[in-house]
Amino acid sequence: MEQKGKLKNDLILVTVLLLVAVITFFAMKVYQKQTTNHAMVVVSVDGKEWGRYPLNKNCKKVISLSDGQYNELTIKDGYADMTDATCPDKICVHHKKISKNGETLVCLPHKVVVEIESEEESNVDGSTN
Amino acid sequence: MKKSIKALIFPVVVMVALLLLFVLKLKQDAKYEATYTDVFDTVTSITVYDKNQKEFHKKEEKLHNMLLKYHKEYDIYHSYKGLNNIKTINDNAGIQPVKVDSEIIELLKYGKKLYKETKGQTNIAFGSVLKVWHKYRTEGIDYPEAARVPSMKELKEMAKYCDIEDVIIDEKASTVYLKKKGMSLDVGSIGKGYAVEKLGQYAKKLGIERALISVGGNVLAIGEKPDQSLWKIGIQNPDLDNEESFIKYVSVKDNCVVTSGDYQRYYTVKGKNYCHIVDPDTLMPSETIHSVTVITKKSGYADALSTGLFNMSYEEGKALVETLPGVEAMWILKNNKIGYSSGFEQYISQ
Repeated sequence: MEQKGKLKNDLILVTVLLLVAVITFFAMKVYQKQTTNHAMVVVSVDGKEWGRYPLNKNCKKVISLSDGQYNELTIKDGYADMTDATCPDKICVHHKKISKNGETLVCLPHKVVVEIESEEESNVDGSTN
Repeated sequence: MKKSIKALIFPVVVMVALLLLFVLKLKQDAKYEATYTDVFDTVTSITVYDKNQKEFHKKEEKLHNMLLKYHKEYDIYHSYKGLNNIKTINDNAGIQPVKVDSEIIELLKYGKKLYKETKGQTNIAFGSVLKVWHKYRTEGIDYPEAARVPSMKELKEMAKYCDIEDVIIDEKASTVYLKKKGMSLDVGSIGKGYAVEKLGQYAKKLGIERALISVGGNVLAIGEKPDQSLWKIGIQNPDLDNEESFIKYVSVKDNCVVTSGDYQRYYTVKGKNYCHIVDPDTLMPSETIHSVTVITKKSGYADALSTGLFNMSYEEGKALVETLPGVEAMWILKNNKIGYSSGFEQYISQ
């Protein structure tokens, strides 16, 4: 009799544990998905944060600098793109639009850095060019 | 009674173990990052695993200051009040020796050594020719319709002033003298790498054990990540418009990864691109290579080698790398074929 009761209890315990594990797993999945959807476009000028905008909301931002200089950032359909700038080399404008975590748009003459930040696990720690 | 205590032991042990794990996880160093745009005309990022933001900030500020110091000392375009830098040496070519900081002496001595090792393909005394290309490139970017390639006559004239033996270093007096007027040092091929090497040594002194430092793609990995995994580095796809930013990935620890490529600084004349790395033999940019990536322990060495290899043919470069212990390289050729030195592929990850 006692043996049977023990077995029953064990079964309940295992089932509960399994259930908890499964629920946690899915809860984490859902949570992760939510945070990835919250990818942000972070703009910094000379190392200081200038602004941050959700990647999933279309908008146009003019980053005004001193002496009438500026960079125009366009966020559209989940991509951030430098669409205009008064810098001499225009490297930032020619750069392809970015969308993935850690990707950057850089305007060295203006010291403007635009970076995608999300909770999504970044594929790389660094890059060499 | 006894039985129920016994039954309790197991769950309690499990709970305590879980709690311990949780606390340990919380105590684990977190990842902090800083980015600078004011050194070496490129983007610098420093990633460190540290206890807290305050600790990281203290160290990061010191590292930044060190980089700023190197930036000024190795600058060939700007003068700074109260500082004799490489530009000061150039301005006094054929006139007089210039007293400089020991860091500059050390860098130039290293440059001379690397000249020999790369069979002249990395030459810090190549400034007079690079200046010509720099002028044409700047004009070509500002006025694309009027972009021109310098004439061979002009280049050959300036190539007369590139003899590394005419760079006279007096260690005792801590002076540098360029023998001929018209000579010009350009440390673009080694300066960044050398600075990163010094920065890495300083970082370790500050107690940093796990970090990734990147100065314009001169990457140095210190230690491994807290979970004992390696640092994963993306190698730039030469096709900048490609959806895939990286063409390959390498995983490293306590190692340097440096790439020299033709897609970073260039200008276009009649549909043809001319990049900033110029071959000392032909006085023209390489025609066959998109990029060379070098992995080796020392950052200054990696930087110089990647430039030197960029100026050699793939076959010649590969033969050289095979003779160098602890050096591996990857070539992306203009025909988009990829070549590896014999030990490079061990670093590649998916």
